[in-house]
Amino acid sequence: MGSTAIAAERVRTAPDRRHAIARAGLVWTLVRTDFKARYHGTLGGFVWALLKPVSMFVVLMGVFSFLFASKPAYKLNLIVGLFLWDFFAEGTKSGLISLHTKGYLLTKARVPSWILVVTSISNALITLVVFSVVIAAFLTVFGHPPTLVAFTGYAAYCLAMTAIVIGFSLAASVLFLRYHDLNQVWEVVLQAGFFIAPIIYPLDILPERFHFYLYVWPPTPVIEFSRSALVAGVMPTTTGHVYLAADAAICLIVGIAIFRWLSPRAAEYV
Amino acid sequence: MALIDVDGVSKAFWIPSVRRHTLREHLLGVFEPRNFQQLQVLDQVSFGLRQGEALGIMGRNGSGKSTLLKIIAGVYLPDAGRVSSHAEVTPVLELGVGWNQELDAIDNVMLVGSVMGLTLDEIRRGLDEILAFAELERFANMKLKHYSSGMSERLGYAVAFKAVREVLVLDEIFAVGDAGFKARCERRYRELRSAGHSAIIVSHDPRIIATFCDRALLVESGRIAAEGAAREIADRYVATLTAAPPGSAGSA
Repeated sequence: MGSTAIAAERVRTAPDRRHAIARAGLVWTLVRTDFKARYHGTLGGFVWALLKPVSMFVVLMGVFSFLFASKPAYKLNLIVGLFLWDFFAEGTKSGLISLHTKGYLLTKARVPSWILVVTSISNALITLVVFSVVIAAFLTVFGHPPTLVAFTGYAAYCLAMTAIVIGFSLAASVLFLRYHDLNQVWEVVLQAGFFIAPIIYPLDILPERFHFYLYVWPPTPVIEFSRSALVAGVMPTTTGHVYLAADAAICLIVGIAIFRWLSPRAAEYV
Repeated sequence: MALIDVDGVSKAFWIPSVRRHTLREHLLGVFEPRNFQQLQVLDQVSFGLRQGEALGIMGRNGSGKSTLLKIIAGVYLPDAGRVSSHAEVTPVLELGVGWNQELDAIDNVMLVGSVMGLTLDEIRRGLDEILAFAELERFANMKLKHYSSGMSERLGYAVAFKAVREVLVLDEIFAVGDAGFKARCERRYRELRSAGHSAIIVSHDPRIIATFCDRALLVESGRIAAEGAAREIADRYVATLTAAPPGSAGSA
C-alpha cells in the first residue's frame, strides 16, 4: 500500500511495481489515442498528414533549385532542413496546447501532468522517424548514402532537438493555461523562425558575422549539423557539439524549472 | 491511524476585478492595476477517514465541498495544511466531462482507466464488465461525441467503480441515470463497502448521506460546522436549508 502526502508545498507518491506498470500503460494509451484521434485511426490519415511537408518540399525545390542552381546539394540540404523543421514546429505546437487539450484528465484524478505534455509530441516524433527513413533513401538515391557515423550523429542531433522541443513544451504548456493567446504568438514566432533558420537558403549566403545570431535560434545548429554530417560528410567540431548539447540542456532545464513552478496549480486554470 | 488525515487544510482563490486571459490583455492593462478579492474556500479544515468507514460531506453550494474533494484527490494543492493518505484514492469527479470526443467508448475507457491508475491488462479484462454496467455494449465503437450526457456519465461511473483501489471519493453519487442504473450503482457501492473499502461522499441529498454513510461533516463557509453520525448531520443540513441563510438579517 502506498503512502501519500499532499501538503501545501509538495505532492509525493511512493512508487511500486504495479504503479510503474500502470504508468507505462498510461504513456502507451496517450500515444496511441493521440495518434488515433489525430489521424482518425487510419494509415491513410497518417499519410495525409505527411503530405504537408512533402508538398512544401516539392514546391520549394521546384522554385529555389533554380535560384541556387550553382549548389548541387541544395535539394538534399532542403529536405533535411525542412523535415527537421517540421518536427520542431509540429512538436512545439502540440506541446504548447497539450495541457489545455487534455485538461479534462487533469481535473479527474491525480495524473502526472508532465506525461501529458511529453506524450503530446509523440505524433511529431513518429513523423520524424518516418521522414528520417525518407531522408536516408533520398540521400542514397542522389549519391550520398549516409555512413553509420553520419547517421549516428544525425540521431544525436534529433535527440537534442527532441530535448529542446520537450523543454519548450513543458514551459509553454503551463503558461498557455494562463495566457490563452500564446499559441498565436508562437505561430508568428514560427513563421519568422522558418526564415531565421537556414532552411530554404544556404547559410553561407549570409555574412559570417550574422551566423552567430542565427545559431542562437535552437533549430539552426540541429539543421546545420545534420546537413554537415549527412550531406557534406563532415562531422561538426567538438565545440559545435558542446554548444548544441548545452543549448538542449538549457532548454530542457529551464522548461522543467518553469513546469515544476507552475504545474502544481495547473488544474485550477483548466 | 486514519486512512486519510486532513490536517488544517486551507484554500483560497484570488478573484480579480478584471479577468485577463491573454498576453495582449496583460500588456494592454499593464498601467491599469487590478484589485483582487480573496475568496477563502476552505479554512483550517481537519478530519480523518478511518479504515472501512464511509464519510459523508454536506453543505450548501459554494461551501467548499467540491474543492475539499479535489484536494483529497490530489487534483488541487492546498495553500496551507496537509492531506496524508495511507491508501490509494479513486476519485469520481466531474463525470459528465473528461472524455476525448473523437474516440470511441473503448478507447476512452482505456484512457480514463489508465489515468485512474488501472493497468492496461486490468482494463482489458474488465472492459466487458464496464460496458455492461453502463449498458453501452451496443455503442462500444461509437465516438463519444455522439453520446448523450447521460450515456457519458454512466460510462464514467462504470469506469470509476471498476478502478476503485482502496478509497472511493464520490461527488454527488447516484445522481445519474434511470432508476435501474441508480440501483446498480447502489448495489455496486454496497459490494465495495462489504469488501472493506472506505468512501468519502459529497451529496446534497440527506437520504444518500443517511443511507450510505456512517459519519458525516457539515461544511459551512469553508469550515466544518458540525461532525457526527450521518443521520444527525443530514437532519441538521436540512434544518440549515430551511433556516435563513448565514449573514442575512433574520439570522442574527
